[in-house]
Amino acid sequence: MKLSGYHRPTTLDEAKRILKELGPSGLPMAGATSHSFLKGDEEKVAVDLAWMGYDRIDHGPDSFTIGANTRIADLQSYHAPGWVLDRVALRFVSQPIRNMTTIGGNIARVFPWNDFPVALLALGAVMTITGQDVQTHTADVYFKGQPARLYEPGDLLVEIKVPAVKSGCGFAYHKENVVNMDFSLLTLAAWIRLDKRTVADIRIAAGAGVPLPCRLPGLENALAGVAISTDAIKQAIASTLDSVKWKGGDGFSDDYIRALAQAHLEDVIIDAWQMAKGGAT
Amino acid sequence: MSNIMTIQLTLNGRKQSVTVDVKTKLIDILRQLGCYSVKMGCSEGACGSCAVNLNGRVVNSCLTYAVQADGGIVDTVESVGSLDNPHPIQAALVEEGAVQCGYCMPGMIMAAKALFDINPTPTDEEMAIHLDGQLCRCTGYEKIQTALRKVAAAGKGGVA
Repeated sequence: MKLSGYHRPTTLDEAKRILKELGPSGLPMAGATSHSFLKGDEEKVAVDLAWMGYDRIDHGPDSFTIGANTRIADLQSYHAPGWVLDRVALRFVSQPIRNMTTIGGNIARVFPWNDFPVALLALGAVMTITGQDVQTHTADVYFKGQPARLYEPGDLLVEIKVPAVKSGCGFAYHKENVVNMDFSLLTLAAWIRLDKRTVADIRIAAGAGVPLPCRLPGLENALAGVAISTDAIKQAIASTLDSVKWKGGDGFSDDYIRALAQAHLEDVIIDAWQMAKGGAT
Repeated sequence: MSNIMTIQLTLNGRKQSVTVDVKTKLIDILRQLGCYSVKMGCSEGACGSCAVNLNGRVVNSCLTYAVQADGGIVDTVESVGSLDNPHPIQAALVEEGAVQCGYCMPGMIMAAKALFDINPTPTDEEMAIHLDGQLCRCTGYEKIQTALRKVAAAGKGGVA
């Protein structure tokens, strides 16, 4: 990719107008940290979104609304009851990259190893895209394929709404990579709601070790309504692990990733369970 | 539309106006302006040898377009201490023998300074988190950690 021009809109309307005029040659630019990985000789005109706001976190009664231009470092340093994305942010590459990258940039184009799609799938987030109309998409719809399919020229992701993790609920995020700055081999997130010891609701998502970040419905169904225990979790994982196509890469085999998933799924569900019952995570 | 822009930045306390091609990276401008402490290493944001502080936050200047720094405050290690009057971070690194080849040091010092400026007494965990983008292939990090621990204990990291 070659940058042949640069715009710096200061309002959402201006950004939408410029992107619409540019059509396919327009490149919405967030932190620009992924530009080194965009290959090819195609010329693009950057539309830098960093100057138009949408870079804060608002705390509502039951949820958080995150502006798409919010830096990962700001997710890392934010603290409020029910806020759990700081744990995901902390595992995100490195401090300089966390200071540059935005959450919108991490989810507007999805690579298998992206951190936030997995967490947002487990948390049941909702994304708002605005262009000619305003569209809202649940994470399940948004991440069903490449989000690009939902965007027309001039459309922009503006907000991500994330439910707060309430009392009786738990969330955990696990990421496996060789060193911090490597792409992930496997990422897993689990959100759980308990009714006493029974799993009233559960969402589990995987990334990196699968073709694209996705929910694991087989495992969720195997655990829903079950009296939770380590044995029940192990059994549910064993009976559903092969319903997922685990994918290796970078010298790691599919079987290795499958084995990694088996171990980490147990850990991530147990961690979410511990948080739900008020224990340490 | 032109691909050439004039940007303004405050580099090490001094206002600068630079005309750049929009695809120029910040590291190239900084070196052109004489900040040779800023080193190109991996050129993909993995090693931290190009780290500088942009508006008080450490960033990889190899990934940052110069136009993204327009209107910003950019600090490199050239603005931190001197041979006669080193910054407490620099003094501690020297005292502990934490500098070997030195290639990582400008980035390491800027990353540490960004942390100490907002938190003069960071814990080991906070230091590990905030310096996780800085690679050093000589020291094994032990002496760097010892030096920064010393700065944190003295609570003087934010003092220029």
